[in-house]
Amino acid sequence: MNNPHSRLPEFEYIRLDSPESTTAFLKDYPGQAYPLLGGTDILVAFRDRRIQPKYLVDLKHLDGFDSFNFSPNKGLTIGATVTLNQIISSKIIQGHYPILGQAAKQVGGYQLRNRATLVGNLCNASPCGDTIGPSMLYSGELDIFGTNGAKSIPLKDFYLGPGKTSLQPGEIVRSINFPIPPDQHKGVYLSFGRNKLSDLALVAVTVLAYPQKRAPSGFSFRIALSAVSPTIIVVEEAQTLLSEQPITLSSLEKAAEIALNQCRPIDDIRASKKYRRELVYTLTLRALQQLWNSFQS
Amino acid sequence: MENSDQLPELIGKSVARIDLKEKATGEAVFTDDLQFGNNLLYARIKRSPYPHALIKSIDTSEAERLPGVKAVVTGADFAGRIGLYLKDRHIIARDRVRYVGEPVAGVGAVSEEIAEKALELIQVDYEPLPAVFLPQEAIKPGAPLIHPDLGKYDVVNFIFPEPGTNISNHFKVRKGDLEKAWQDCAVIVENEYYIPHIQHVPLETHVAVAQVDHSGKITLWTSSQSPFAQRDLIAKTWGMSPSDIRVISPYVGGGFGCKAGVTMEALPIVIAMKAKGHPVKLRLTREEEFYTNFVRQALLIRLKMGCDADGNILAMENTMYWDGGASTEYGVNIARAGGYSCTGPYDIPNVRADSYCVYTNNTIGGPYRGFGMSELHTGIEQCVDELADKIHMDKVAFRKQNVVAAGDTLATGMVMHPTGISHCIDIVAEAIEWGKTSKPGSPHKKRGKGIAVMWKAPAMPPNPGSSATLKFNSDGTVFLSIGGQEIGQGAFTVAAQIAAAGLGVPIDWIRISKPLDTDYSSYEWQTVASRITWTMGNAILAAVKDARNQIFKIVAEAWHENEADLDIKDGIVCSSISDREISLKDFVITGIPKKNYQGWIGGPIIGRGNFMPTYVTGLDKETGQGERAVVHFTTGAQGFIVEIDTQTGKLEIIKAVSAFDVGKAINPDLVKAQIEGGMMQGISSALFEQLVFKEGVLQNPNFVDYRIATTMDTPEQMECYYVEVPQDDGPFGARGVGEHPMVPTIAAIGNAIYDAVGVRLEGPPFTAEKLCLAIKQHNHKEK
Amino acid sequence: MKKKHTITLTVNGYKEELEIPSNLTLLHMIRENFALTGTKNGCEAGECGACTVLVNGKPVNSCMVLAVECDGAEIMTIEGLTESGGLDQLQQSFIEHNAIQCGFCTPGILITAFAFLQSNPHPSETEIREALVGNLCRCTGYERIIQAVLDTTLE
Repeated sequence: MNNPHSRLPEFEYIRLDSPESTTAFLKDYPGQAYPLLGGTDILVAFRDRRIQPKYLVDLKHLDGFDSFNFSPNKGLTIGATVTLNQIISSKIIQGHYPILGQAAKQVGGYQLRNRATLVGNLCNASPCGDTIGPSMLYSGELDIFGTNGAKSIPLKDFYLGPGKTSLQPGEIVRSINFPIPPDQHKGVYLSFGRNKLSDLALVAVTVLAYPQKRAPSGFSFRIALSAVSPTIIVVEEAQTLLSEQPITLSSLEKAAEIALNQCRPIDDIRASKKYRRELVYTLTLRALQQLWNSFQS
Repeated sequence: MENSDQLPELIGKSVARIDLKEKATGEAVFTDDLQFGNNLLYARIKRSPYPHALIKSIDTSEAERLPGVKAVVTGADFAGRIGLYLKDRHIIARDRVRYVGEPVAGVGAVSEEIAEKALELIQVDYEPLPAVFLPQEAIKPGAPLIHPDLGKYDVVNFIFPEPGTNISNHFKVRKGDLEKAWQDCAVIVENEYYIPHIQHVPLETHVAVAQVDHSGKITLWTSSQSPFAQRDLIAKTWGMSPSDIRVISPYVGGGFGCKAGVTMEALPIVIAMKAKGHPVKLRLTREEEFYTNFVRQALLIRLKMGCDADGNILAMENTMYWDGGASTEYGVNIARAGGYSCTGPYDIPNVRADSYCVYTNNTIGGPYRGFGMSELHTGIEQCVDELADKIHMDKVAFRKQNVVAAGDTLATGMVMHPTGISHCIDIVAEAIEWGKTSKPGSPHKKRGKGIAVMWKAPAMPPNPGSSATLKFNSDGTVFLSIGGQEIGQGAFTVAAQIAAAGLGVPIDWIRISKPLDTDYSSYEWQTVASRITWTMGNAILAAVKDARNQIFKIVAEAWHENEADLDIKDGIVCSSISDREISLKDFVITGIPKKNYQGWIGGPIIGRGNFMPTYVTGLDKETGQGERAVVHFTTGAQGFIVEIDTQTGKLEIIKAVSAFDVGKAINPDLVKAQIEGGMMQGISSALFEQLVFKEGVLQNPNFVDYRIATTMDTPEQMECYYVEVPQDDGPFGARGVGEHPMVPTIAAIGNAIYDAVGVRLEGPPFTAEKLCLAIKQHNHKEK
Repeated sequence: MKKKHTITLTVNGYKEELEIPSNLTLLHMIRENFALTGTKNGCEAGECGACTVLVNGKPVNSCMVLAVECDGAEIMTIEGLTESGGLDQLQQSFIEHNAIQCGFCTPGILITAFAFLQSNPHPSETEIREALVGNLCRCTGYERIIQAVLDTTLE
């Protein structure tokens, strides 16, 4: 076990003028230069010496990184510097992307969320990251800026493993775009921690549904599971079932059963895999029931 | 002239705390806030990564050469051992390390960063040794011997180590005829419970600044519950006079026991000795606070209890294996306290108890709010519930029938004093509507009710003293010099209240001399054991009496009246037989002139007093019997209504109720505040907290994975009550209550869980995971 | 390696200019460079809230902010809450409710509550609890703290 540390290690704080010079710098110092947004994950890792940075490159002042634009055809673009509290209090989010706000509320505490950013939370790629599930189910697309210019990657293709994304050295996420969600959609984000609030998710479930005339059940569902696999799982088989069969308690239970069979939780200090499996079933069923009930009323 | 039946107006009044404004503005000074100037050095400590190992060599040469480093120390710099009841600890490890985190070297440098860099340059060569982590394993013959020199350690005469083993204290109780008693029992219950390690989690971590001058005198600024004990322990260890050591302690940001005795404070002293003239500051990081200093010992408790057909408890066999960790200098007394309290607050005629304090290679177990009582009652009160069940008696009625009452002979032979425990049980039972089922909020939820009782005596050596001095000022205000520390419980306020009430002055005339400073403050053994209101209060009243005697002597002479006819009200001396008056401010410094200024009467008044219990007797080594084991017991009860989501295992507390017999609530609101805070700490320990050790390495030394209760985890309803059965030798009848509110909590919640879902877990924390899986298994069995 | 940055910022209304290294946190700058010791160090990991200060009006864990990031910022600490000797309404309420024991968590809680109420003047009790979930207290059990905050909103 390492000696605990009382101060941050030495590093150099870098602030460059443009996104171009920033990405070039990050590319020139792979493994040594880290991008800085809210800092709430990275500074803890620095103090614990889990990573040993030489440079911390601030992105917060860069052009194009602080957007928050909504349009009825393009959807919502959220810049890298937008904090979780800004998301929670946004009327656009509350009205159009409610489960994103619900999930953001589960991250840390009130003060932490004045620094932590959505993009930062997404790029941290924690298997239990609260905002990943909703962002995926809202079909988020990342606007990635690198030394070769900009490119777009759907969030569902972004994650490679715990803490690992497809970002190449020098690439930074400038913003995330969410298309307009399906008409009349509703969603539920349920997360379960050791405390009532402020804990990491032991298991979290995101569900979203919307009326879909073409579907035999009349609805289309989206279901994502967090903290029960190396990366967030979208449970396509359950989604299909709920679109093809009439929605009853029995079909919801079957969907929860599928979710249970798809998850691959591990034992860790927070929970055992046995318990996580219990929670996956219970939370998926409850989320679906809550969601379905909201369509009935 | 005093009417002893009438209490002064201030007693029983919820006066405002006297430290509120400075704490609300952030002005209140804590140790890390003290400003020392440019000659301050920062200390960092190199710690053992092994739970048990020999130190083959240490090379500090490179560290010493690093610019900015002023001192590097290792165990070679100091051979002495330190310890409150048993001197078993080196300040810095010498030949071997016994727990992960044990200090092996220290550095003092001009910045924390440089000190940390220096630590990395220190080379330590270890040879790992076999280690042992469970007390029931460490007690077996053939287990790795953690303290081969146990027989050579200085030890107080009421602690009984067994050299050649890992047992640093074995306390026994033998009362009655157990074998016969089992035969008379209609039912017997036998069970085992494990209560894991937890940590105090004071919001302010340990911090100490030490300075040694060139004549060798030590000044120590530290967040401390025990400045005088620290001074005396340091003096003994270094072979110095206590008068050459000065301990100054400003406000303490939470102690809960972990800032008693001497722990990390000795480290900056050793470093300061090598950097004379520099103050040297050591502040533990939160991670270090979790595992390098004091934790609450884990306990494995094996209970066998039996009662007759009428529900009278006849017999108890209680074996306690306390996981004392690598050093049990303090923990040995926890085992002792567990021993003499072994029956819980019950009248049991036949008792066999063995309380073992056992060395393991875990972190050092030390005093934690409750001093073993939480862990002990977690076992007893769940066992009592099972016993009541088995004999088909109501659990409240069973307890009422068996709890101690005045005149009962306790397990140690001591005779019980009057106590309000029955009344406490009634209050709690009524408040949670015992006997009525509570309807759960939804179909997959279940509700249950549970109750637990407790007792605790202040655990101290037999002769812990308090003293107080009243120093008057020329406007009649008074500096009250005490040694009882303000750690959040309100000690300073209660001190001022008792002094003002006893003296007869408004409360804002009393100023507490602070910060506590062993050069100037009056002696106090330690601020622990929920003893301060009682013992310091008595010392203050003695000082008040002394001051009043001086005052009345002067005024009686000046007025040609009798001292017995005089009193002080609102700071004015008055007579019951005449209408003469004189304000204290007119004479407490300058005296009273004689008629026509033909001389003077009096002079500067200083009141002094002390209190030390003189009636505690030793206990027999083989039987634990003695006339008076402890000073007194505070008793009480707690009840819970819980609601459990049977699918997730999540437990919500619908209602939490406490009632304690405090003798006399000097300040009712402060009593309630202690009960609220203690209950919450108890709830946190019941539902969330556990130090998870794996081969001696703490897996969760941070708030991410050591969860404590937050604003969202409080009960829906919390009610706090107290009863007042006066303490015969307490100030205005008062007795302590600081620790007691977290003692019965785990058991009460455990009992409520059983009532709700029919499962009993092996021990806390009663996490959602454990409950969920246990309920599932239970339902499976039922089918 | 120890490159220094020159920053200017406002602390409790006072303009300041200083040179600081990259790895200095806002918490340490406040406590050490400015000797404003009301803000406390409880965990240095963004978990306990004892270090909460306002940066441009928003409460943040100062242990998780670099000093250099505060160039041009307005900082308010607990010392800034008490204007010229008078107590803020919140502080007064805490005193009336006896909502303080050891006092170590108090500055962080007051700052968080102060800022929260600025943007949410009429919160429910649950909203107050949620806003303070990142402020740990070990002594009081939270009840009086929540009441003290709630009472200032009932005008």
